[in-house]
Amino acid sequence: MYSLIEPTQSNQSLGDDGILFVRNEGIFDTMVKTPLLVASMIIVAALLPIQSSFSSPRDLDLIIYPDGSTHVSTEIDVDSFLTDYELNLFGSSIDNLVVIGDNEFLLDTDVLDNFALIQTFGSSVISIEYDIHDLVSKQSKLWTFSLDSPSNFTLLLPQNSVIVGMTNLPINMEIINDQNKLTLPSGKTEIDYLFSNTISNPIPDPKTETNYFSYAIIGGVLIIILIGAVIIIRTKQKNPKPVNHNPITEKNNILDIETIFKLKPDLREDDRELVKFIFNNGGKALESELRKKFLQPRTTMWRAVKRLEREGVIEIEKKDLQNLVKLRKNMEEEE
Amino acid sequence: MKKLAVFAIIVLIFGTVSPSLVDRAYGQNDPSILLRIAVQADKQIVNQLDRVYGDQIPNNLQILYDKGHRAVYSLDESLPDDIEKAKQDFLLAMNSFMQISRIISQSSEKVVVVTVSDKSNRNLTSEIDRLEKYVKTLEKISKKYNADVESDFIKIYDLIQELRIQINNGYGSYNDVINEIKIILDSIKNDIRESAIKHRSDFIKRFFDRLLDRIDKQLTKAQDDGIDQFQIDKGHTLILEIRELLSKNQIHDAKLVYGELKELMQNIGYSIRIT
Repeated sequence: MYSLIEPTQSNQSLGDDGILFVRNEGIFDTMVKTPLLVASMIIVAALLPIQSSFSSPRDLDLIIYPDGSTHVSTEIDVDSFLTDYELNLFGSSIDNLVVIGDNEFLLDTDVLDNFALIQTFGSSVISIEYDIHDLVSKQSKLWTFSLDSPSNFTLLLPQNSVIVGMTNLPINMEIINDQNKLTLPSGKTEIDYLFSNTISNPIPDPKTETNYFSYAIIGGVLIIILIGAVIIIRTKQKNPKPVNHNPITEKNNILDIETIFKLKPDLREDDRELVKFIFNNGGKALESELRKKFLQPRTTMWRAVKRLEREGVIEIEKKDLQNLVKLRKNMEEEE
Repeated sequence: MKKLAVFAIIVLIFGTVSPSLVDRAYGQNDPSILLRIAVQADKQIVNQLDRVYGDQIPNNLQILYDKGHRAVYSLDESLPDDIEKAKQDFLLAMNSFMQISRIISQSSEKVVVVTVSDKSNRNLTSEIDRLEKYVKTLEKISKKYNADVESDFIKIYDLIQELRIQINNGYGSYNDVINEIKIILDSIKNDIRESAIKHRSDFIKRFFDRLLDRIDKQLTKAQDDGIDQFQIDKGHTLILEIRELLSKNQIHDAKLVYGELKELMQNIGYSIRIT
């Protein structure tokens, strides 16, 4: 049986582990003509970018101003053997249109509704800039950006805007001058945003976070090394004389429950229950634990917690993505 | 030689495939972006609900919110290992929040959908920012054409500065200043156009020269291929006509005749396009 699958080449073709090595000389000659293959691939590789790039924007950048007007700037590859190029303008309310061709030549353009007829006269790349008022609408305090884009594009949102809904997955996001800049895929996109006074900062840049995290790790390691060194030195210098050891009782700064209620007599009954639970839980509890314990929806619990925070009974700390609710230690001092 | 050929093939395959690989990699470069957007939206929606409804959140909104909020938690848990699930969670969360924000805005006392072109919605600072950007673009172009408009630009920048001060102070003749800027801009555009005429004319002539030479060669080839002589002669006549119009600087007419020539070439089966 074994002889049936033994290679016809000499045994020298088998490696130490019995791996089969097959001579590949002549494979290309027998299968295809190598020069022909290379030439074909060069042609294909050369034509692909040309075919895919004509009439499609190579760059599309949008900036939304606080009043919802949008600045569009785009670069488009066009056929240099055509005299005109018809451009879809995403809308008809256009201002400040400028079209520049090769070598920064100003190109003549006629705008008719949603289209601009650009006299390209041999330009291979045209840059277009204009302001448009059709991409953003506003209902009450909600602003909605809508676009059916032929290509990927970047979108710079106004300062203090917060996204509250979107239909597409963003490709990327970065912070430019305290503004969120999204990179979005081609196709239909809708983004709802609000202007917020409470959340004035843009979503933090992950790079910055990473840097802080790196610094924190380095700092932590250094502190641990330092503490370790101090402990070792102290251990070595330890006095063998017996020391009168006074047991130190950890002072618990949290007030007892009765004192809290005396200080805050106006607390609602359900809020008192919350405080009791937190107190019995060692003075702190996650907001999610409170929700589970009291079977309350998130918003109701969130409001209760905010109410207690306003009363000065608790303080809220962020732990990962959750709210850690802690009884305040200095409540008495404030009173 | 064969090694070289194999190397060339590998390079070409990689070169052809790599753009799509890069694009996909870029799309997934930082999935935590999704979580940050969703968490921010979640907080904002809670604020909205609290402000608008207080303790009386309508049931449909509460259901939508819970759905979105659960999706945010699920998104957090999906990252960084299960990207596909994270994407679904993100879209679900943002869709729920979008519905809530739209319902809230629709239920506001005064429901008015406005497009931003509506003048009542005017924001002067945005208007000035956009105008200044346009002015800078024109300034760049004017330098290319050596148009003598430097003093006009200085005046415009002064007016923009004045306008910003007026806006900060909360009073001023905004419309008068904006109109003045627009009048100067029109003048600048005319000056640029005049300065550009010579450049533009040369540019267009060069374009037609290149194009007509190419068509001339195609007509010769068409003649060799046995195409109707009448069509070939007509094509040559049109080429001569275009060249004559260009020599007289009649660009528009040249373009019209070129349209006729292009149609003739298409009829005899020869494309002018480069592809």
